[in-house]
Amino acid sequence: MSQRIILITGANGALGRALTQTFLAGSPDDVIWLGVHHRRDHADALAAAHPGRCRVVPLDVTDAGDWKAAVAEILAAHSRLDVLVNNAGTHDDALLAQMKSESWTGVRSVNLDGVFHGCQAVMPAMISQRGGRIINIASLSALLPPAGQTNYAAAKAGVLALTSSLAKEVARMGITVNAVCPGYVDTEALAGMDAVARQRAVSQIPMRRFGRPEEVAEAVRFLACAQAGYITGSALKIDGGIF
Amino acid sequence: MNASPELKKQIKQMLVENLMLQLTAEEIRDDQPLFGPDGIGLDSVDALQLVVALEKNYGLKIPDPEMARGVLKDVNSIAQAVALNPPK
Repeated sequence: MSQRIILITGANGALGRALTQTFLAGSPDDVIWLGVHHRRDHADALAAAHPGRCRVVPLDVTDAGDWKAAVAEILAAHSRLDVLVNNAGTHDDALLAQMKSESWTGVRSVNLDGVFHGCQAVMPAMISQRGGRIINIASLSALLPPAGQTNYAAAKAGVLALTSSLAKEVARMGITVNAVCPGYVDTEALAGMDAVARQRAVSQIPMRRFGRPEEVAEAVRFLACAQAGYITGSALKIDGGIF
Repeated sequence: MNASPELKKQIKQMLVENLMLQLTAEEIRDDQPLFGPDGIGLDSVDALQLVVALEKNYGLKIPDPEMARGVLKDVNSIAQAVALNPPK
């Protein structure tokens, strides 16, 4: 089977766009569904530029009903779903002593609960077709939690634990579940950093530069490919050598 | 309603194929427990696969663990549930 059906959440952001472009370039047959929530301008542009290969689907990852509807739409169109990339994420940094409980819940809800709902939504189809690839976008913060990110780091660490546990549950069904842990990558998440903070961050990276979204996307594309069939439950760091 | 021997045979075949069991359909007794020490050795992951396979092949929905415990006891109980749930 050469055509794969791929669903990417958070597809309107910089990493979502890079993921889409990388999958588009990687195979002429793949069909990519772009899950979008608050904004969809970039995703709509990609769908317009690649008719028949990219389709946009509304998807609030925190809403199990949205997941059900999105997966049903994809299955109605293709009768299968081969790859899920749980990419949607958010952050709302604050010191724990000053963190509002909404900040804790909101970040956990998108970054961790969203992955749970997504994996649960695609599971019947992947079990039924006895195969599938799930790639969760975690973060280096899950492994090296910085101050000011208790919500984000805890949620991403939860994603790693979920990845590892689910990988064991579904391995015998031909489904792999892996995570990537990007370090500093030039996306919207870093847009708020001023020049001094950026310089300080770069100085901590052995490669002395931020990563590019395409570099994360290539790793995800590999984990989704047939040749990565024996890799499951892993967490791949993409961080310029910070550890 | 008594399930037919043919249906039970189909279910045993489905068990063997879907769960990649190291035994043949003929080796599974109708009343042999599927789980537990005296059973054929299925675990919770097999149960998950079985739930999906029953819905796919027979349209039988098993929405909660309590129902799963009743239906997935042995081939007899599965066949009975399938027979009571004719395809729509």
